[in-house]
Amino acid sequence: MGFRLSCGNLFVFASLLLLILSSPLVSRTQAASQSDFGGAQSVVQSAFSAVQNADRLGGNVTALVAQLNGALSLIQKASAENATNPAQAAKDLANATSVAQKVASAAGPVGQQGSAARQLQFYLSVGSAAVIVAVASLIYIFGDRIYRRLWLRAYGSYEVRKIG
Amino acid sequence: MDKETATIALAVVTILAVFAAVYPILPQNSEPFSELGVLGPNLKIGGYPTNATVGQQISLFGYVGNHEGMVSYYQFLVKLGNQSTVVSNTTAATAPVVLTTYEVLANNQTVTFPLSIVLHQPGTNEKLIFELWRFDPNTSSFGYTGLWDQLFLNVTSH
Repeated sequence: MGFRLSCGNLFVFASLLLLILSSPLVSRTQAASQSDFGGAQSVVQSAFSAVQNADRLGGNVTALVAQLNGALSLIQKASAENATNPAQAAKDLANATSVAQKVASAAGPVGQQGSAARQLQFYLSVGSAAVIVAVASLIYIFGDRIYRRLWLRAYGSYEVRKIG
Repeated sequence: MDKETATIALAVVTILAVFAAVYPILPQNSEPFSELGVLGPNLKIGGYPTNATVGQQISLFGYVGNHEGMVSYYQFLVKLGNQSTVVSNTTAATAPVVLTTYEVLANNQTVTFPLSIVLHQPGTNEKLIFELWRFDPNTSSFGYTGLWDQLFLNVTSH
C-alpha cells in the first residue's frame, strides 16, 4: 500500500509539526536554572582563587580584578533578566563563565611575573645594601688618605709666602 | 670636622641608606581589616529613608573597603528582619535575603555601589540589615566578617 498525500494526511502532518515546534523543549529558550547560576558562580570562585594566588606571589592583579567584577555584573544582570528575557540571560551567563575562565588562565602567568619581579627586587635590595656597606667601609678605612691625596693634588702647586 | 664626628656621620648615613635599600622587601605588619558602610540616597552618611510604601524602590548606596593585605571577594547581603531579629559581630541575622551583590576588591581598594531595594509586605519598625561576607578559598564558601549595619523602616501598603 503506497502513501497518498491527501488533504487529510496533510492536515495531520501540519498539526503534528506545529505541536512539535510549539513544545517548550524545541521552540523556547529555557530560563537559566539555579544550577546554571551555581555553575557560573563556581567558575568565578575558581578564578578568584587563581587571582588571589597570583596576588600573593606579587603579581599585578588590577586588570584581572576588573574582569572578574565584569563577570559578576553579567551574572547579576542574568539573574535580573532571567524571568523576562531568558535568551539574553543565558547569553550573559555564558559570557560571564567565559570571562571567568579567561581570568583563571591568565592568573598563572601574572603570578609568575610577580614572583620574578619580587625576586629581582629582593636581589636589588640586598645588592644595594651590600654595596652601601662596602662603600662606607672603604670610606672609613681609606677616606682620610684619599682626602689628603686629593687635597695635595688640588693645592700642591700653591706657594706659601710670608707677608710683611 | 674631627675624626670622631666624621665616623658617626658616616655610620648614620650608612644605616639610613641600608634601611632605604631593604625597605621594599620588609614584610608589612599592619592589622588586616575590611570596611562596610551604607550611604543615603545622596551618597552621604545621613538622609536615610524612614518610611516606604510597598513596591516603592528604596535607593541607597553600599560601601565596601578591602584592607586585608590581599585581593578579596565580598558578598554584600541585605536582609529584611524585624525588631526581634538578632544580629551581632559574631552572628549573622536569620532573616530572608532581599538583595545580594558581589564585589572583588584588590588590596586597599574601596567601592561604592547603588542598592535598589523593594519591599513587598507592609510592617512597622521593619529592620533592613546589611551584612558583609568574605569568600574563603579553603572552604569554597563565604564566611561572615562580623561587619553589619541596620536601618529601621515603616512600610505602609500605599
